[in-house]
Amino acid sequence: MSSPIAEQRFREIVPPLLDDAYSLAKWLSQSPTDAEDIVQDAALRALQALSTVSVDRPKPWFLAIVRNAAMTFMARNRRKTVAYAGDLSDLDALDLRQGDDAAPNPEQELIAYEDGERLRQAIAGLPPPFLETLVMRDINGLSYRDIAEATDTPVGTVMSRLARARAMLAKTLRAKA
Amino acid sequence: MTDRDMNERLLRLNAALDGELDAMASLGFEREMRDDPAFAAEYRRLAALRDAVRRHAPREAAPPALADRIAALAAPTPPVPASQTAAAPETVVPFRRRAWLDRRALAVAASFAILGFAVGAGLTSLRSPSAADAVAQRLVADFARAEIAGQPFDVASSDRHTVKPWLAAHATISAQIADLAQEGFTLEGGRIAVVDRVPAPTLVYRKREHLIAVTELPATLARSRGAGAIDTVDGFHVARWSDANLSYVAVSDIDENELAAFAEAFRAAQKPAGESPAR
Repeated sequence: MSSPIAEQRFREIVPPLLDDAYSLAKWLSQSPTDAEDIVQDAALRALQALSTVSVDRPKPWFLAIVRNAAMTFMARNRRKTVAYAGDLSDLDALDLRQGDDAAPNPEQELIAYEDGERLRQAIAGLPPPFLETLVMRDINGLSYRDIAEATDTPVGTVMSRLARARAMLAKTLRAKA
Repeated sequence: MTDRDMNERLLRLNAALDGELDAMASLGFEREMRDDPAFAAEYRRLAALRDAVRRHAPREAAPPALADRIAALAAPTPPVPASQTAAAPETVVPFRRRAWLDRRALAVAASFAILGFAVGAGLTSLRSPSAADAVAQRLVADFARAEIAGQPFDVASSDRHTVKPWLAAHATISAQIADLAQEGFTLEGGRIAVVDRVPAPTLVYRKREHLIAVTELPATLARSRGAGAIDTVDGFHVARWSDANLSYVAVSDIDENELAAFAEAFRAAQKPAGESPAR
């Protein structure tokens, strides 16, 4: 049971963010049907929360709920993509340099970027912390500060994850080019 | 170059790409772009990748069935007798919200009483929520939310020449701003309401402790039903009128007669000089 105020706030906040929520959930779960379950679960959580909190910045707030709902869902259903073997701090500490293998051939690289299917596979192959950061930035259009809030992560970490995510994408696409 | 410098450089490239550099950092960045071709080339590659991601992995629309299920979670409840409305919040609301809610419940009760009167008086169109009513409902919710949040406007200014360009930059409709200070309604600021996903300029006026929010909409979104009619939605008063191009919806907690006076003054102020204020 939710209060009338919560329902009113919910109607204001959630429907305009549904496409963002669904897209984020779909990338995190890599399944359209799981994404629907996750968004529905997140919406219920949001409705409950809105009885007691008012929200300044709805987008990072609701996407944080979607992200957490996705994590819960993946853990409960033992989806393999949630599993990241290793310590996150290792990943964040990884050197961002692209190394000599970069030696880019700009034209080839641009051609590689235009293969949409491969690009989407490369994105889907990112480890979850990098995937969520990239999706929130380039697909949901959140600012660094919003991503930091939504993922409960320092801004510096958001920055290095995003830089690293893009470097990994470029490298994957180069490797297969 | 040390590893640390390399990392810094990459972070800076990404931050520039994402529009996250402040003015000073942007200055340094532009200089570096000009002086260091390798840096500029790296930036262009990064931008190409980012653009490709946006093109090939766009935001997707949620399936309509999902949108329907979500909307159903908090569908507006159908009108219930005022006695029940007043009683219901007691059971579900934390203590500190009670006083406020009781007031709201009273307002809702009052609105039903007025609604009943209005229906009795023959305004049967009030019964069936049309698209225009949905718009009014939405703007009332906006108004209530802004009041609760204590943020009735996004740009606070009594200067028309400040409010107008701000609104113009954020909405597709150019707002008509009436100067009603002489009638006792002072301009307080402006905000954007979103109606059917269209950003609509909203002007906020004050009279004594009451705020009046006027939203300007494309005429197709909210057709008025004749000038002068004041509706009551959730305890707030709503006035609607249209001119050749736009529809106007004014929402306020001020009393009916004063809102009618406001609407009249607003309409009169917008008529080109020389035209009779009467229709």
